[in-house]
Amino acid sequence: MQGASLKVVDGIKSVVRDFLRKALESEAADAVLVPVRTPAKDSYAWILTNDQAVLDEAGPLAPTMPVQGAKALKSLTRKGQGTARVIAVMRPCEVRAAVELSKLNQVHLDNIILLSYDCTGAVPLQDYVGDPAGSEERFDSMLEARKTEESAVKPVCGICVDFSLVDSDIHLGLIGLAGESALLIPNSEKGAALLEAMGIACEEDTSGWMQAVSGLKAEREDKRSKALAETGASLQGFDGLHAAFADCVGCHNCQSACPICYCRQCYFDSEVARRDPAALLDTAIARGGIAFPGDRVMFHTGRMAHMSLSCVSCGQCSDACPVSIPVADIFSYMADLTQATFEYAAGRDDGEPLPLRQYREDEVEKVHEIVKGAEEEEVAHE
Amino acid sequence: MGSKSKSVVVVGAGIAGIQASLDLAELGVEVHLIEDTPTIGGRMPQLDKTFPTNDCSMCILAPKMSECARHARITIHINSSLDAISGEPGDFRCTITERAKYVDPVKCVACGLCEEKCPVKVDDVFDTGLRKRKAISRYFLQSIPAEYTIDKDNCLFFTRGVCKMCEKVCPADAINYEDQDRQLELSAGAIILATGIDPFNPIGFGNFGYHRFANVVTSLEFERILSASGPLGGHVVRASDSKEPKSIAFIQCVGSRDESIGKNYCSSACCMFTIKQAIIAKEHMKDLEPTVFYMDIRAFGKDFDKYYEKAEKKYGVVFTRSKVADIDELPGGNLRLRYTEENGDIKYGEFDMVILAIGLEAREGNRVLSEELDIKLNEFDFYRSDAFGPLESTREGVFVCGAANGPKDIPESVVSASGAVASAAKYLKLERQDIASEDEGAAELDVTGDRPRVGVFVCHCGINIAGVVDVKNVAEYAATLSNVEHSEDVMYACSTDCLETIKKRIEEHGLNRVIVAACTPRTHEPLFRETIAEAGLNPYLCEMANIRDQCSWAHMEEPELATAKSRDLVEMTVAKARQLSSLERLPIDIDPRALVIGGGLSGMTAALSLAEAGHEVFLVEKEKDLGGNMRDIFFNFDKADPQAFLAETIARVEENENIRVFMAGRIDGITGYVGNFETTISGGGNGDAEKVKHGVVIVATGGEEHKTEEYLYGRSSRIVSLVEFEKMLKTGNFPAGRIRNVVIVQCVGSREEGRMYCSRVCCTKAVKNALELKKAKPGADVYFAYRDIRTYGFREKYYTELRDTGAVFLRYTPETKPVVNMVDETNPDSRLKVTAFDPILEKEVEITADLLVLSAAIDPPEGNVRLAKMLKVPLNSDGMFLEAHVKLRPVDFATDGIFVCGLAHSPKDMDESLAQAKAAASRALTFLNKKAILAEGTIARVREDRCSGCAYCESICAYAAIEVDPEKEVAVVNEALCKGCGACVASCRCGALDLLGFSNEQLFSAFDSLEMVITDGGAD
Repeated sequence: MQGASLKVVDGIKSVVRDFLRKALESEAADAVLVPVRTPAKDSYAWILTNDQAVLDEAGPLAPTMPVQGAKALKSLTRKGQGTARVIAVMRPCEVRAAVELSKLNQVHLDNIILLSYDCTGAVPLQDYVGDPAGSEERFDSMLEARKTEESAVKPVCGICVDFSLVDSDIHLGLIGLAGESALLIPNSEKGAALLEAMGIACEEDTSGWMQAVSGLKAEREDKRSKALAETGASLQGFDGLHAAFADCVGCHNCQSACPICYCRQCYFDSEVARRDPAALLDTAIARGGIAFPGDRVMFHTGRMAHMSLSCVSCGQCSDACPVSIPVADIFSYMADLTQATFEYAAGRDDGEPLPLRQYREDEVEKVHEIVKGAEEEEVAHE
Repeated sequence: MGSKSKSVVVVGAGIAGIQASLDLAELGVEVHLIEDTPTIGGRMPQLDKTFPTNDCSMCILAPKMSECARHARITIHINSSLDAISGEPGDFRCTITERAKYVDPVKCVACGLCEEKCPVKVDDVFDTGLRKRKAISRYFLQSIPAEYTIDKDNCLFFTRGVCKMCEKVCPADAINYEDQDRQLELSAGAIILATGIDPFNPIGFGNFGYHRFANVVTSLEFERILSASGPLGGHVVRASDSKEPKSIAFIQCVGSRDESIGKNYCSSACCMFTIKQAIIAKEHMKDLEPTVFYMDIRAFGKDFDKYYEKAEKKYGVVFTRSKVADIDELPGGNLRLRYTEENGDIKYGEFDMVILAIGLEAREGNRVLSEELDIKLNEFDFYRSDAFGPLESTREGVFVCGAANGPKDIPESVVSASGAVASAAKYLKLERQDIASEDEGAAELDVTGDRPRVGVFVCHCGINIAGVVDVKNVAEYAATLSNVEHSEDVMYACSTDCLETIKKRIEEHGLNRVIVAACTPRTHEPLFRETIAEAGLNPYLCEMANIRDQCSWAHMEEPELATAKSRDLVEMTVAKARQLSSLERLPIDIDPRALVIGGGLSGMTAALSLAEAGHEVFLVEKEKDLGGNMRDIFFNFDKADPQAFLAETIARVEENENIRVFMAGRIDGITGYVGNFETTISGGGNGDAEKVKHGVVIVATGGEEHKTEEYLYGRSSRIVSLVEFEKMLKTGNFPAGRIRNVVIVQCVGSREEGRMYCSRVCCTKAVKNALELKKAKPGADVYFAYRDIRTYGFREKYYTELRDTGAVFLRYTPETKPVVNMVDETNPDSRLKVTAFDPILEKEVEITADLLVLSAAIDPPEGNVRLAKMLKVPLNSDGMFLEAHVKLRPVDFATDGIFVCGLAHSPKDMDESLAQAKAAASRALTFLNKKAILAEGTIARVREDRCSGCAYCESICAYAAIEVDPEKEVAVVNEALCKGCGACVASCRCGALDLLGFSNEQLFSAFDSLEMVITDGGAD
C-alpha cells in the first residue's frame, strides 16, 4: 500500500479543507458532504455543498457527532445514486455504518467518495453542548497529538479497534507520523481515480504508519475485550438485563439515533405493540402485576436481535440516552459476540454478505459452542 | 372427478415405487401400489442418515410416505404380490394376490395394545434381527399404513390354536383370524416394476467370520446400530461385551466386484455408505478410529468426492488400499485382519469391530417372477434394460425403475422412477385436469367478525396418549377457557366416526374454530382440515396441539407433568385459534407449453416426452445442430450404435409437430413464475428476438470437455483428449507410424483444486475406447494411469475385460502424477516420454508413448451463471445447477416449474441422461397436465407501510418468491411461488413480514397465554 505525503502546516483540519477545495476546483468532485458548525456554535450539522465559503466554515473533522454520518448519507441517497460525485468526510464508524446500510439498500455509494481518517474519538454530545469552546480545544489537541484522551471521548471510542483504515475510498493516515506529516491513502479504485484526477501521486511508503496502527489496535483489542467482558458479566440472566435497563424511560431515542435502525417504523412504536386495557389487566392478574411503560427489556433485546449483527459501536445510542444508560457498551458487548459467531464484522467490507444471507455448514456448530459457553457462564455466575 | 386416463400398477413401494406413484397420481392417473411387506417405504426407513448431506433418511422419506397414503388416487396394497400379466400394452390385466393380514385395516387404529400383550417374541426383520418384536406387530414405528398385521408362522393361535390375546385386548374389534388371501384383477395401461434389491448375505462368504464372530456385522446391521430409532438407540456398542468400539474396520466390496461368486459388477452405493457410516460413527464417538479397506473408492456422484475428502481430512477416516484375506477373532472379541497391501506386503491389523460393506444383489424372487411375467433378466438376474432404453423392460408397456435393473443409490432411483412415469405416459391417455375437488364440498361459511367459538377434541389414541396423559382432565380444563364452546375427549380423533362427530359438533355448537389435541400436524392436519371443510369451515380454522410427541412420548415417566404440559399446549392453541382467520388458496393458471433449454440428448429427450404427451415445446439450442456432446460418441458396449440412435432422436424431434426448435438460439430473458413464464429468445432462424409464453422450464444446458493445459496438451499431435481419441478410433486417423504404446491418463482436471468433483464418465469411456483400440490395433499396449477406477454398476465387467487384455494399470496420487516430456521438443509430431510411478513395483517406469490420451474433466458451460441468474435458481460451488434436494428431488429446483437434467445437473452417462431427461419431463408434466394449481394458503404477507425495501428477505428466500419492487421500494410476495416456510419473516428486521396462519399476533397470543414470572411490563 502506498500513499501521498501531505505537509501539515496549519493543522490537520486545514489539510482536509485544502484537499476538498482542490477536489472541487479541479472538478474531480461535484460537492462535499461535511459537518459544519452551527451558527450558534454549540453543535454541528451535515451540510452538502460546493460553495467554497461554506467549506471554509466546515469542520470538516467535527469534535462531536450529533448525527451519525451514515444517517446523513441515507438522507442524501435513499432514493438512488444521483449523478453528482460527492466526497463525504466521515469517521471510520460512520463509514462502516454507511457500508452496512448500503448492503441493506438504504444508502447508495456508487457516486459517493468516502474520505475517512485516523480517528482519535468523539466528544460525548452532552459534554460538547455543555462546553463547546473547551471541547473544541480538547479535540484539536487530541487530533494534532494524534492520541486519544480517554477522559475526553465517548467510552466506546476509548475501546474502539476500528479507528483507522476501514472500507473508505480515501484514508488520511495520521497515527505514528511526525507532527508535520500525514498520508493520503487511496483505498479503492474510486479513491485512486479521484487522486489521479487531482494529480496527486501516491508513491510514499506507508509501512511505518501501518505498524503504528496495528500496534495501537492490538492494545485496544485487549482493552476492549476486558471492558466488554465486564459489561457482559453484569448482564447475565433476565435479572441482569432488567437491572441494566431499569431506568429506561421508553423514549426510544437510542433507536432514533442509531444509524443501523433503518426501519420505517419500529415495531415497538407501531400500533401492533399497543395492547388493549382488558388484555393488559388479564396479564396483570395472571402475573401479579405489570410495569409501565411496557416493553422495556423487550424493546432493547428486540432491537439488539435485529441490529446487533450490523452494530458498528459508534456510541450514538449512549449519547442519545437521557438517563445515561450505557446502551452502547451493552450493545457493543452483544454485537462483538454475534458478529464473531458468523466471523463477520459490520461494515468491514462492502463485498462481504450479511450473515443471514449465506449459509455455512460450520456455523451451526459454532452457535452450539457459543450457546454452550453461555450456559456454562451462566452456571458460573450462579 | 372421473379422470379417463388409464390406471397403472406399480410393484414395489420403496422410494422408487413411491416416487413413481406420486408422479402418476399428480398426472391424474389411478395408481395401485403393490408391496410385499406390511408397509411402504422399502429400504430407506432402515437407513440412519443419507450421503452426502447426512440428512436423516426417515425424516426426508416420511413426508413422501404420508403423501402416498393420503393421495386420493393411490391405493396401497400391502402384503401383496403381482402374479401374472395378461393383455396388451395400454390394456393390461394384472393378477394380484393380497395375503391375509388378520387385522381389519379399517378398524385398526394402531394403538399398540395387541403388541404389548402378545406373548410371542420373534426376530425383528426390520431391525435386522437386532431386536425382538411380537407375532402381531407394526413393521416399524412410522410404517404406513399404520395398521398391525399378524405373523401367521409365529402366532400361537395359528401354530397351536391357543392364546387369542390380541382379540381380547383390541379396543377396536379389529382382529380377524378368519381373514383369507385374496386375488384381485386390476386393469392397467402400463406396469412399473420397482422391486428393488436384496442385500448380499455374507454368511460363509470369504474368511470374514460373519455370524461366527460377534463383532463382525453387515453395513445394513450397522445402519440400525447407528440409527437413533434403532435397537441400540444410536449408541454404538459391539455385541460381544456391549462396549463402545475404539476402532472399526470397514471392508468394501463384500459380494461385489467378485467374479468368483458370479458378481462381476460394482454395487455402486457401498463406497459412499461406508464413508457416511464412518463419518456418522465418528460423530457419535469422537475418539473412534475408522479404517476403510478398499480397492477403489467410487465416489462418482454429485458432490461425493467432496464428502470423501471431508471424511479423510476433517474426520480422520483412514483409507487403506488393500485386499483383506481373512479375519481372526482374538480372545476378548477383538478382530485381527490379515490383508495384502498394494505392493504385495502382508499386514495385520487389530480392530474392535468389523463392518462388511455388503453389495446390492438381484432379488431372490426375480427369476420366478420374470418367468411368470415374461420379462428377461440380465446375467446377474437384474431386470434387463439397455443403454438407450434404460427404463424399459424387455416387455412392451412394462417399465423398470429403482435398483431392480441395476444397483442405484437413492437419487438415481428417484430419477429412474420419475423417468419411468414419463415413459409410461404414452400408454395412459392423459388428460389435463381441472383444479382438484376443493370447491365440490359445502359452501364455505364466512366467519369474519364472528366471536371465536372454539371446539376442542382431545384424543386418547388408545393408550398412546391416554396411557400417560390424563386426557379427560385436559378436556375438562379446555372447557374452562374463554371462547371454548365445546370440549370433549375422544378415543381416536382420526377414526371415521370421530370425524363425523367433529362435523356434528360444529353444527350443534356453531363452532368456528376447531382444535384437535392429538398427534403431529405433519401427518394428520390435512385430514382434520378436510373434515372441517366438509362442515363448511375454512380449512385454516383448524389447529392441532401435538400432545403425543411433545407430552405422552417426551414425558412418559412423568405423567402429571405430561398432563400439565398438555393443558398448557391446549391453552396456547386456543389462544392462537382465537386469532385465526380464513385463508384462501389462489388458483394459478398453467400454460400448457414448455421451454427446454439445450438440444443435446437430454434436452431432446425431455422435449420429446412432453411433445408426445401433447404439449407444445420450445427447444432452444445454442449451436447450429442438435445433438450436443453425443455427436462425439461413436461407440457403446452394447451393440447399439450411438450415432444411429442420435440420428433417430433428431429425426423424431424434427418431425414432431409439437416441437419448435430455435437453432443457434439465445435466451435473452426469462420472467414470470410457474405456469406463467415469458421468455425472450433471439436467433431461431430469422435472427429476431421473439417472446414465447410457457408453463415450465427444463434446463438441459449440458457440459463441455475441459481444455487442459497439463501434460503438454496441444504441443504434439500425439497428445489427444478422450473425445478426440474416440474420433480417432472412429476415423482411423491415427498419428503416422507405429502405434504401440498408448498411455491413458485419467482425472485430468478432475478431483483436484478448482474442480473437486469426479467427472464420472471418463473411467468407463476410457475403458471402452481402450477396448476399441485393442480391436483396431491388436498389437497396442495400453498403459492406464488412474487414481481410482470408477466403473460402477455393470460397467465393471468391461474393466475386467480390459485387465484381461494385459493392459497395465498404474495408480497415481495427486503428488505422483505422471510426467510427460517430448522426445523431440522441436517436432510437433514428437513421441512422448511418460514417467509414472508404479506403486506395485514401487518404482518409476518410463514409457515411450506413441499416443497419449488425456481423460479431461467435464466442465459446466459458462452460460450457466447467466441462466441461473435469469431463472433465479442456484448453482453449486462447481458451477453446476443445484437441485431442490440432492436425494429426493433430484430434477426439481426449489422454485416451482423449473427442472434440470443431463450434464447441467452433473456429469453422467447417456443412459443416465436419458433417464433424467424423462424424469424432468415427468415432473414437468405434473404441472402441465393441470389447467391450474392452487397456491398455498399459509404464505408471507408484506405490510408495505413498514417495509424498508432492504431486500434481506429476497436473498434468503429459497423459492425466489419475494423481491423488492424497485418503484415502490417494498418487498412483494409472489403468491404462486411462496411455500410459507417463514424464512423471510424471521429475517425481516422491520417486522414488515408476517406468515399468514402464523402471524406475530397469533404466536404472541399463544405465548402470552402461559403464566410466566413477571419481571417487566407490557408484552414482555
